[in-house]
Amino acid sequence: MQQTAILDKIQHNMQPGNITRSGFLGTDTRHLGDILIDDDARVKRLGVSHQAIADRMQALREKGTQGLGNEITIPPHYKIRVDSVRGKLPCPFGDVGLFPKTNTTITNTDTGETITFTDLSTHMIGVHGFYEGHGGCFRLDPEKLVSTLDVQPETE
Amino acid sequence: MFAAFIFPFLIAVGTMCAISGILAILMVIADATIGNYGTVKIAINEDKTLEVEGGRSLLITLKDEEVFIPSACGGRGSCGLCKLKVMEGGGDILPTELSWLNPTERKQNVRLSCQLKVKNDMRIRVPEELFNVKQFRTRVISLRDLTHDIKEVRLKLLEPDSIHFKAGQYVQVEVPEYELTDEPVYRTYSMSSEPFATDEVELEIRYVPEGICTTFVHKHLKEGDELTINGPYGEFLRSDTTRPMICIAGGSGMAPIKSILMDMNRNHINRKTRYFFGARSKRDLFLLDDMRQLEKELPDFRFIPALSEPEPEDQWNGETGLITEVVDRHIKDASDMEAYLCGSPLMIDACIETLKKNNMPEENIFYDKFA
Repeated sequence: MQQTAILDKIQHNMQPGNITRSGFLGTDTRHLGDILIDDDARVKRLGVSHQAIADRMQALREKGTQGLGNEITIPPHYKIRVDSVRGKLPCPFGDVGLFPKTNTTITNTDTGETITFTDLSTHMIGVHGFYEGHGGCFRLDPEKLVSTLDVQPETE
Repeated sequence: MFAAFIFPFLIAVGTMCAISGILAILMVIADATIGNYGTVKIAINEDKTLEVEGGRSLLITLKDEEVFIPSACGGRGSCGLCKLKVMEGGGDILPTELSWLNPTERKQNVRLSCQLKVKNDMRIRVPEELFNVKQFRTRVISLRDLTHDIKEVRLKLLEPDSIHFKAGQYVQVEVPEYELTDEPVYRTYSMSSEPFATDEVELEIRYVPEGICTTFVHKHLKEGDELTINGPYGEFLRSDTTRPMICIAGGSGMAPIKSILMDMNRNHINRKTRYFFGARSKRDLFLLDDMRQLEKELPDFRFIPALSEPEPEDQWNGETGLITEVVDRHIKDASDMEAYLCGSPLMIDACIETLKKNNMPEENIFYDKFA
């Protein structure tokens, strides 16, 4: 993907200190376009789509809200906690609206893997195919998302 | 041959260096002139005028003049707490403020003080209660694990050496530079101590993964360290009525409720009070002995902890289920009661619905939402 002026502006928004203190790119020094291409290829190799991953994240988040801020057991093998801290964040891609700082932490008790994501993470994955740069605290590897959340490969 | 090549090359390099040098000088001049707003006057409440250097945000400018405006995000425009009325000199509302201001606030000249740059003389309104806010140098006198993810932090006030606050209020903690932040950041926490103890402040802080302040408190802060706080802030206060009270909290939402209860005990306020505390399992419960002691001292107070998913090893014989279910079982007609809620927004929203269903008027429901 060519690094356009628009992607340059978005990548600027993602730098530390602009929207969040640590930014969205971690230690990744690649162009945003290259990060998006790389993760898009990884998702395709897994046989799923960005939207399917985001839908699964959203569905489990909704189930986790039943715990009213406490961890809750959701069959077949998840422990989910949905909790909020003060504040809301805009999307670095410039989409309209603000996203509450709601953290969803999901543990797959079969694999022992735990994933934490925000409402903004789900939006950026579903709409933009952006999983954050490598080395960042909120980077979500597509492979780990798919295995931990049991995202099913899409059938033809 | 060599000279024919090298001279044009050197001229080109020299020209580039000269252009770069001129541009750098222009940038320095621009920075010193365009960005220099000189001395600016800020009139506060038609009562007091500050003379300040322009160029920084209104929030930071006021803080340096010891006028503290609450802000939970350290001035990034992501918490919406630092709203002030700017009657003159604020210019147009900025795009970064738009989503935080409703139409009424826009009409009333409410602005986000962290986004607004001080460029010229201004007239602003600061709520009177914020003039009681001070910055305090404190020392950590004890750190105690209340649960696996909640720490109690007790701070001795050094300078000034006393604070006057109301039960239910909060302070801002200044997190110094450390591995997760290259500049100080501020986060808000309710005080769990009682107002009577003016030389100490006690906080209950739950660990949030990657949270700048909570990571600092849980993994770096030590007894004996100094910590800067400012406060008090907030209007989550007990009303001055005699209505029976329902308190509902979860996790570190215990803090302001504990302060309110201890204050009632100190001042012999014997209102009928039921305190519902929601947790997942026994390891998430804390201060049970303190609450049982309050049951003995406050004549009509009952503490009702409830577990949503008790573990078999908990051997729990108490209330079980979501806190909303437990409240629903205990409270049948809440029409003449008041409720005080503190915890996650999910819990608070669900509790408000439950209380309204049981006839509690919405104006009798007070809450401190972590949102």
